[in-house]
Amino acid sequence: MSADKREQILRGIPASPGIAIGIVHRMVYDEPEVLPRKLAPSEIPQELGRFDRSIEETRHAIERSRDRALDVAGVAVGKIFDAHLLILADEVFLDQVRGRITREQFDAEYIIFDSFAQMIEVISRSQGEVFRERATDLRDVRTRLLRFLRGDGDIIPDHPTHQVILVAEDLSPTQALNLDRELVHGIATDVGGLTSHTAILARSMDIPTIVGIGDVSGKVQDGDSIIINGNSGKVILHPTPDSQVEYEEKRERYRGFQRLLEDIKFQPAVTLDGREIKLWGNIELPREAESVHAHGGTGVGLFRSEFLFLTRETTPTEDEQFEVYDKAAEIMAPHPVVIRTFDLGGDKYHAGINIRDEKNPFLGYRAIRVSLSRRDLFKVQLRAILRASARGNVRVMFPFVSGFEELRESLAVLQEAKQELNQRKLAHDPNMLVGIMVEIPSAAIIADRLAEECDFFSIGTNDLVQYTVATDRANEQVAAYYRSYHPGVLRLIEMTVKAGAKHGVHVGICGELGGSPAAAPLLVGLGLEELSMTASMIPEIKKIIRSMTYEECKRIARKALKMDTSQEVQSFLRGELKKRFADLPIWFS
Amino acid sequence: MIQKEVTLLNRLGLHIRPAAQLTKIASKYQADVYLLKDGMRVNGKSIMGVMMLAAARGSTLVLEAIGDDEQQLIDELIKLFENKFYED
Repeated sequence: MSADKREQILRGIPASPGIAIGIVHRMVYDEPEVLPRKLAPSEIPQELGRFDRSIEETRHAIERSRDRALDVAGVAVGKIFDAHLLILADEVFLDQVRGRITREQFDAEYIIFDSFAQMIEVISRSQGEVFRERATDLRDVRTRLLRFLRGDGDIIPDHPTHQVILVAEDLSPTQALNLDRELVHGIATDVGGLTSHTAILARSMDIPTIVGIGDVSGKVQDGDSIIINGNSGKVILHPTPDSQVEYEEKRERYRGFQRLLEDIKFQPAVTLDGREIKLWGNIELPREAESVHAHGGTGVGLFRSEFLFLTRETTPTEDEQFEVYDKAAEIMAPHPVVIRTFDLGGDKYHAGINIRDEKNPFLGYRAIRVSLSRRDLFKVQLRAILRASARGNVRVMFPFVSGFEELRESLAVLQEAKQELNQRKLAHDPNMLVGIMVEIPSAAIIADRLAEECDFFSIGTNDLVQYTVATDRANEQVAAYYRSYHPGVLRLIEMTVKAGAKHGVHVGICGELGGSPAAAPLLVGLGLEELSMTASMIPEIKKIIRSMTYEECKRIARKALKMDTSQEVQSFLRGELKKRFADLPIWFS
Repeated sequence: MIQKEVTLLNRLGLHIRPAAQLTKIASKYQADVYLLKDGMRVNGKSIMGVMMLAAARGSTLVLEAIGDDEQQLIDELIKLFENKFYED
């Protein structure tokens, strides 16, 4: 390593906000050289037994990791460990390992190390990010397996014992899952994106993190000074005293802002002139309702029930679903939980539901359309939701409704589900509130009519934008046309709110716009009564609402509605926010 | 023995979840099944083997099945490929 310790600035993807200043701890994969040990033929049966036991122990350890991952980080990270379990369930591979131990008469550690090494070698050389990431997974599984084999148990080695900023090529899922918040003040990695397991876990643990820096791990040694700004993505190696002072100030300001949010977290989201807005959370696992509570949310505005299908091959039973809905309602009680019936199709598939290859899946067989053609599954879900409504504050919401046809048909199925429960003498709330997602322009246009037949609307802005401006939101080639603040979109939101107000139908929003600080004054000004978002955004949005008057918000909305382009609206909204909350760059990233 | 050529149409290729679906189906049958690509020949009942092909979108593979129920096995696998592993 050179003695050159001049300040150097690198950039990466800001994956978890906050500023960290500290010293480097490089984390490397624990990959010891495993040397072969020759076995006597008489030792082989014992060695095979040792191998099988280590598989069993590792499997249990991974299952525990999966459960913990689901707990702290959600389905995406849980799936990583599910994949690890699949590797350990590969009987063909395990048999090969057993065969090699018997034939080659080497110890299990060496054969495991070597068998995985061949796989890792081939996969690391392959094209395509998704396969190279698998090499990380294989190393992770191998490390755990070797540790159990040596009787070291499932302690993750190479963890810092003092306060540090971790620098690594990448963290293995197990390493990331076992980070100690008390010691690790920041993370910087060479690889990864916003959805990498490191990023997801770091966010859930509130550790400032930058990923995808390219080469940071090769440029530092243990003990080097480093600053990372998780708000901007900037990494400063060997900071000068000036930079040190500058970032200490920045960190203080940011912490001050965090404390401010902490102070108001459990206050109501009420404007200076007294209009109260409900701030709710979007969840996909029941236990995420705890996070909604912890962030000061007073309800779940969107419970995505698809996860019940996406994490398994078979369709979930009524009892299984009931337990999940009941759990969410119990955690959130007495506040409401809005359960959206499963939104499959589009880009979400399930092995138990046959969806043909479609030219335009987002205009195709998805969401309520799937439910209405698979009434068997639909009714199972509605019965489960109804049963939960007898015990908690539960509401049901139908996605992807384009008009009366789907709404009335769905209501009819709901009615049948109620009758079936009556026959079975199972309790439910006969007056459970029923709502629809407003995410198709036709539904927004006739919202005044639809309002006569349901209790609430929730505007799904992601899809509403996609369909209003006819732009596939996953198609990068036309990303510039995906305009969230398009005047057409704003008018549809306004129409929906007005229609709701006229009929006493509660109107909320549960798309990404709902959790966007810049959009908050606009949405409040348009008259929305509830904003539902990722739980972690609730305090910031609350702070904004509590700092403004409803009158001001209405003025902002009126002005925005007169503008010609999405771009104009966006810069206007940012400007308005900047005027009031200067110096908080994270809000404008 | 039957051999059949297939093309991978799903966006992410034969990564871990599609590989899991494939091996799960393969394991239901008595027949042996192999996947051939670029001179590699792996056991279709092994997720590690299938992943090792690192088959990306657009690549062509040969499915080979040997055994009594080879035809049903191949038919079900082809359906999986045609449906893009129900992924995207």
